[in-house]
Amino acid sequence: MFLALKEMRRAKARFGLLIVAIGLLVFLILFQQSLQNGLLTSFVGAIRNQSAPVLVYSVDGQRVIQGSIITPEMEQLVDGADGVGDVGRISQRTFTVTAGGDRYDAGIWGYEDEALGAPSSLVEGRYPTTSGEAVGSDADASNGFGVGDTVVVEPGGLEITIVGLAEDVQLSASPTLFVTYDTYVAAIRSVNPDAADPLPNVLGVAPEEGITDGALVESINAESEQLDALTRDDAADETPGVAQVRQSFLLILLLYALVVPCVTGLFFLIVTFQKSDALTLLRAIGAPAGRLVASLLLQALIIIGAGFAIGLLLYTPLSQQQLGGIPLRFETRAVVFWAVLLLVLGVGSSLISARRVLAIDPIEATTGGANR
Amino acid sequence: MTTTDIAGDTPIEPTLQMSGIRKVYQLGDTEVVALDHAEITVEVGEIVALVGPSGSGKTTLCSIAGGILSASEGSVVVGGEDITDYGSKALTTFRQNQVGFVFQSVHLVPFLTARENLLVVDEMGRREGRVARDRADRLLAELGIDDREKNLPSQLSGGQKQRVAIGRALMNDPQLVLFDEPTSALDTELGAQVMELIRNEMKARGTSAIVVTHDDRITEYCDRTVRIVDGHLAA
Amino acid sequence: MKLALRELVRRPGRFVTATAILTLIAILLMFLGSLLDGLIRSSTGAVRAQNADALVFSESSQASFLRSRIEPGLAATLEQDLGADVGGLGVVQLGARVPGNGPRDLANVALWGYELAPDGVPEPPEPGEVWADETLRADGVEIGHELLLGSARTAVTVVGWVEDTSYNGQGSLWADVETWRNVLNTNRPDAALADGVFQSLVVRSGELGADTTAAVVAVAGPDYIALTVSQAIDEIPGVTEQQTTFNQILGVTVAIAFVVIALFFALLTVERTALYGVLKAIGARSRTIFAGLVGQAVVVTLVAATIAGAAVLLLDLAIPPGSIPLYVSASRIVTSIVLLLVAAVLGCAFSLRRVLRVDPASALGSS
Repeated sequence: MFLALKEMRRAKARFGLLIVAIGLLVFLILFQQSLQNGLLTSFVGAIRNQSAPVLVYSVDGQRVIQGSIITPEMEQLVDGADGVGDVGRISQRTFTVTAGGDRYDAGIWGYEDEALGAPSSLVEGRYPTTSGEAVGSDADASNGFGVGDTVVVEPGGLEITIVGLAEDVQLSASPTLFVTYDTYVAAIRSVNPDAADPLPNVLGVAPEEGITDGALVESINAESEQLDALTRDDAADETPGVAQVRQSFLLILLLYALVVPCVTGLFFLIVTFQKSDALTLLRAIGAPAGRLVASLLLQALIIIGAGFAIGLLLYTPLSQQQLGGIPLRFETRAVVFWAVLLLVLGVGSSLISARRVLAIDPIEATTGGANR
Repeated sequence: MTTTDIAGDTPIEPTLQMSGIRKVYQLGDTEVVALDHAEITVEVGEIVALVGPSGSGKTTLCSIAGGILSASEGSVVVGGEDITDYGSKALTTFRQNQVGFVFQSVHLVPFLTARENLLVVDEMGRREGRVARDRADRLLAELGIDDREKNLPSQLSGGQKQRVAIGRALMNDPQLVLFDEPTSALDTELGAQVMELIRNEMKARGTSAIVVTHDDRITEYCDRTVRIVDGHLAA
Repeated sequence: MKLALRELVRRPGRFVTATAILTLIAILLMFLGSLLDGLIRSSTGAVRAQNADALVFSESSQASFLRSRIEPGLAATLEQDLGADVGGLGVVQLGARVPGNGPRDLANVALWGYELAPDGVPEPPEPGEVWADETLRADGVEIGHELLLGSARTAVTVVGWVEDTSYNGQGSLWADVETWRNVLNTNRPDAALADGVFQSLVVRSGELGADTTAAVVAVAGPDYIALTVSQAIDEIPGVTEQQTTFNQILGVTVAIAFVVIALFFALLTVERTALYGVLKAIGARSRTIFAGLVGQAVVVTLVAATIAGAAVLLLDLAIPPGSIPLYVSASRIVTSIVLLLVAAVLGCAFSLRRVLRVDPASALGSS
């Protein structure tokens, strides 16, 4: 203990650099973890947190709501499938809206049945009861999408008043307004006089009692090769781009995580080599090898701990911010996971040096062979 | 203190002339006097043993003579060149050209072969290229280690290492070579052999040398012994 | 310098771990950079290819093609008043059924209708025909294939390839405007556009050059906006955000490279203090010693960067097309190497003070 701390105090620059390196790495890892989760939530949050347990796309839509079109024939096929309880239309499109004096791209999500496509729960206000009302995404509340605010759809000037807010319901990282189906149709007509009656993009379906969501999906997909039914979570996970984001971040995080034990391991290896004379001397005057190893591991622990603290200090304020419309969040689980993992990897990598310490023969102090 | 050459007409400058040398170190609030009005002259081709206990000031004297340290007071003339007021750059150039060092624990560059350890002097300073390579080969042959030129220090015996170190010190054809405890890491027999070698090499070249030691046995290989105690010299 | 390089050759073991760490960091830097390039390239190709002095959108569209609406007549007015070439442009994103693929295995395509040919795209083909972006090869598309677009299964035939024209991560198909309008109106009734109505206009006015956008707005009035191609690229959702975020991550990664190099060479310098003392005593200047240190850092970095470059190229080959949008370019690799070299040299500078402080006197009187 005494030795470990004394040494660190004497070689502040070296230990300081290592701590800074680990701090930066931890910061990047945590930040990217938040970024990934924030990105995915703001990308497909609306799908994950809406009330319909099963969503039916047209195969042509390639699992993109806006790209999917449900023809009347498809709708009939779904209605007639085994295990289908209730069916409700859902449509969604991106509009230009003015909110709080500024222009935004906003998704308007129209649903026929509150139980099949409205947000699962609200954090404020109520669900729309009449035309021209909406539930907004709470991440955008401060930008003119708060309860009581009126949003104008451009061009055409259709006004929509926000009466409630839901959490994590953005789609494509844009503000999202959940409206009744007639409000959605009115919005389409207001911006494009050439538009015909819009067909629904997807269908929200609830199973009959006693039927599982999975069984319902199978039953609907068996009806036609044009239908693509997915459970709520699968629909979110299978949205194009989600898997790529996950894979890319997984690879990036793995690489960063690999750098931490490498840097720590290298550091202790060199430091142990440099002080092998001193360690040999300590062994010669009777210091048990175990105590020297303990001192080494304590240093590793302090370094990873201090590095993690620096990383956390940089990460915490950033995790409260919005990044280009993507709300970040302090990911407690990620913090704990990475703290444990990096501690294990960092301390583990310093064990290579511990082996070196254990291999020191005190006799070398008298023969001068320590540095060979 | 000057001698004359064989013909007796031109006076020959001594290799080293240090007069009134005082060196004071500041240790916190206290001043430590390492050398106090030291006077020493080493004639051309002369080998002087500088003997004294630890902390007596031998290393400081040697460092000042070799242009590694500057004296607080007094004057230093090496080979007719007055280095008393040299700054660190001028001292570096001086060391490149005028003096050779053999360090206490040999201090060869561990990843260089014997030949490369000699050539490092040229690479760090004069950059003479072929001339330096020829000189290195000649020195290795003269020192009897030409068959070891491709060996790394770890593949050499203690005596061979010492020979490489001597070769390195002679690479710049110095007027003065400073030996810092050259035999301290060697056993008696090897120490004697090394001192014999030093004497022969210095005498063959007419190069002056100061051999720092606290071992009286090696003084017999030197022309003269100067004793130093607490920063004071006594012949 | 020779001394430093010899150490690298004779004692490679000493540098292996540091090189390995730097290789990892270099891979991260190149991989992240290539990922950014790939993402941007696959989102912007079709807009980037536009040979235009201005792209015109309706004022409230936020430069989104799908939301923009250009009334008939504006093109003629602009041609007349500005003496410019003006052509209509529009896009619709759909799933395409490719011959030979399974019934649920559709290719994501962006079908463009155009009048003025973008760079690298030939003049509009015959009605019902399309030029296809090469990325669609990964979906099994071949020349001569009849693709069925959208739920209405509108047929178009592929008659040739074009390069680097993806849009929103989807491979583009380039058709004449009537084919595009037919596909749009049949498959997306909610986005249907009447004859003569376009989503955007491409304006080419050789003389006005940079003033074209202002001139267009002056003629077209407040219901329209005009953007240069690069402005239109920045307006594509996510492009600016992706660039900012990735560049920040890349910046911190370079900072980590700097700290790692600083740390490694600081440790090496501490270890070599005695050696440096000897070298200084025999006449080496601090400058020479430091140059050797920098030389080693540069070599280690170059070795790491070369391995990383090769690894990223292999990764690019190993990643199945369409999974991770990686675009490995020579310029990205070179930029990464330059950044790492700068970090390496600056990292070394951290040890400069220690090299300067080494006292040649330390070589004497110590064992």
